Amino acid sequence: MKKIFLIIQREFLTRVRKKTFIIGTILFPLLYLALIFGTGYIADKTKNNLNIALIDKSGLFTEQLVTKNNLTDTLTKLSLIKTNTENVLKNYDSLGYNGVIQIPATFNWRTGIDSVNKLEVYTKKTYGIGAFDAIQKKVNGMWQQIKKDSLGIDASKQSIMDASISITQQNEKQKNANAGTASIIGYVCGFLMYLILLLYGSQVMMGVTEEKTNRIAEVVVSSVKPFQLMIGKIVGIGMVALTQFLIWIGCIFLIYNLTKTGNGSAASGIVGQVQTVFTSVNIPLTVGCFIFYLLGGFFFYSSLYAAIGSAINEDMREAQSLSFPITMLVIFSIALMTPVIKDPNSTLAFWASIIPISSPIVMMVRIPFGVPNTVPWWQLGLSMALLIAGFIFTTWFAARIYRTGILMYGKKPSWKEMIKWAFRK
Amino acid sequence: MNILELHNLKKYFATQKAVDDISLEIGKGKIFGLLGPNGAGKTTLIRMITGIFYPDAGEIILKGKKFDPENDAKYIGYMPEERGLYKKMKIGEQALYLAQLKGLGKQDAMHKIKEWFNRLEMESWWNKKVEDLSKGMGQKLQFVITVLHEPDLIILDEPFSGLDPINANLIKDEIYRLAQNGTTIIFSTHRMEQVEEICDHIALVNKGKKILDGTVADVKQNFKENLFSIQLENIPTTINAQSFNLINTNKQELIVKINEGYKPNDVLNHFITNGSNIISFKEILPSLNDIFIKLVEGTPSARQFQVMDN
Repeated sequence: MKKIFLIIQREFLTRVRKKTFIIGTILFPLLYLALIFGTGYIADKTKNNLNIALIDKSGLFTEQLVTKNNLTDTLTKLSLIKTNTENVLKNYDSLGYNGVIQIPATFNWRTGIDSVNKLEVYTKKTYGIGAFDAIQKKVNGMWQQIKKDSLGIDASKQSIMDASISITQQNEKQKNANAGTASIIGYVCGFLMYLILLLYGSQVMMGVTEEKTNRIAEVVVSSVKPFQLMIGKIVGIGMVALTQFLIWIGCIFLIYNLTKTGNGSAASGIVGQVQTVFTSVNIPLTVGCFIFYLLGGFFFYSSLYAAIGSAINEDMREAQSLSFPITMLVIFSIALMTPVIKDPNSTLAFWASIIPISSPIVMMVRIPFGVPNTVPWWQLGLSMALLIAGFIFTTWFAARIYRTGILMYGKKPSWKEMIKWAFRK
Repeated sequence: MNILELHNLKKYFATQKAVDDISLEIGKGKIFGLLGPNGAGKTTLIRMITGIFYPDAGEIILKGKKFDPENDAKYIGYMPEERGLYKKMKIGEQALYLAQLKGLGKQDAMHKIKEWFNRLEMESWWNKKVEDLSKGMGQKLQFVITVLHEPDLIILDEPFSGLDPINANLIKDEIYRLAQNGTTIIFSTHRMEQVEEICDHIALVNKGKKILDGTVADVKQNFKENLFSIQLENIPTTINAQSFNLINTNKQELIVKINEGYKPNDVLNHFITNGSNIISFKEILPSLNDIFIKLVEGTPSARQFQVMDN
């Protein structure tokens, strides 16, 4: 046991002290957030300000209407042109307008222009999709007002018209349940699990291959059993993954606590979402389960990756071709995520969250929808028990391949040969 | 007392009998040469002694008790032929880690590393990484790591390959020093001149079987062909004697083979009675290299390889 602990310690410390870990853990999420906010900010700042000339031949559009509707959006501006319309129509770009719209004289407040009701905005440049959405909204807003005025609908009548009923789902057993938030959390959990399984799984594989090709493996296995070396590596790297996850969780809690007491200015979109998450999802249970499935899934897959790592030689292409079936299993699980989020109670969701191959990802997608309502306790228990049994099996299986592979040089073995190594006495 | 005894060890792989019924006894403080052509089963034999492989049959007795790989790792130091170290790990930390894996306490390990690093002038290496070392320096480090935990039995697989003569001598001196202090050394190689120089005792392995075992002197005695070299002041034109046959003439030197039933004295008598002045007379013993080739060449697989080589 003392030796396994030494191996775990080395695997953990050499990785955590690396710059890539610090970058991956702290800088990467910061950069990611900066990217999201930064691009949003830049997009806002550099958006085209559209100034569109409005030539009204029908005489229904008044200066007052235009001014009022211009207030709905500051990035676009409609300017009502009353005089010298021919000149504006010809030279709108040199007069400082980005485009021109002409309301024909045939415009009728009941039916509009004609049966298709299409107007064109004339421009000298091609603008992006949706660039004129705000203009369209403004023109329609004005027509709406003209219609109301003509029909004699005032503000009090309008409020009667506008009154409506909204229907939201209320889970009787779980007061705070929120399908939207649960879906988001489900996505985040599933995707995070997928990333961790693949990234750290391949780290295990590369670590094993490195020991084999460096020939250090033979030195080490003369002091410890191959199984101890393999388990030490897997657990050490698993601890790295867990540390990274806990740092992230810590950061989220920090953000939550800072914004809870803070003033309104801090309540930006992301932070607001974080607040909703904390009130609508059972956080301790979700985090606890995430840690369990993270470790369980990691042991399940990384021992298989370790077996592959032990079988290959220097050539990384060998690693790719041998690890492909394993990687496919992980990708298969992530592909199940979307249907499971749509219906977390389906038969597919049930089986996929019970079978250890997909349970780490799929169960984590289901858990935010609520335990024990969406996921009964017995399902969670069964899934966990099977995952434990699963990783005990894969570890046993991998250890038998590993002890042969780690000292075997030369030709790349096939999966068939590796399975033969595992099951011979 | 024997530090290591192997009784009828067997290890069969799917395609071959890698080790087929080998028994050996190695005394404490001896330098033992394990010889054999490539693919003879040396590495498999060593891997069983180091606990990397379990034997299919037979038993290993280490220090008078049945070998227990888990707990006896600390008594054995093993330097594989293909050297292996973590390239990116600092040298000091690496030595400490590997010593701790052998079961040394941290303080103890630190103390011993410092001592060895001092003696072999490696103090400045502590914070360097293995990838910064030259190949020879890496070998030296590997040797230190192998012997650091003061094992009773050290197994060195081709310890001098890649070392310059100065470092090779340094390591050789350390090997002698360790043997004098009672450490047993198993030395696996096919460099015969080194074996003759260093080893007390040898065993020759071929195709999984032990084909020769004994002290270097005994082996040479057993394989001698009764050849003697005689230097004479004047070589007689005709030599005709019952006691020996002339094999070769070389300026002043004669190589003779003594016939069955005769002794070296009979040869000397012959020349003395003939009135020749003898300058020197000495026995020619076969080199281990000759014995090795003679024994190994007779086996079918070696012949096959030779056919393929030519």
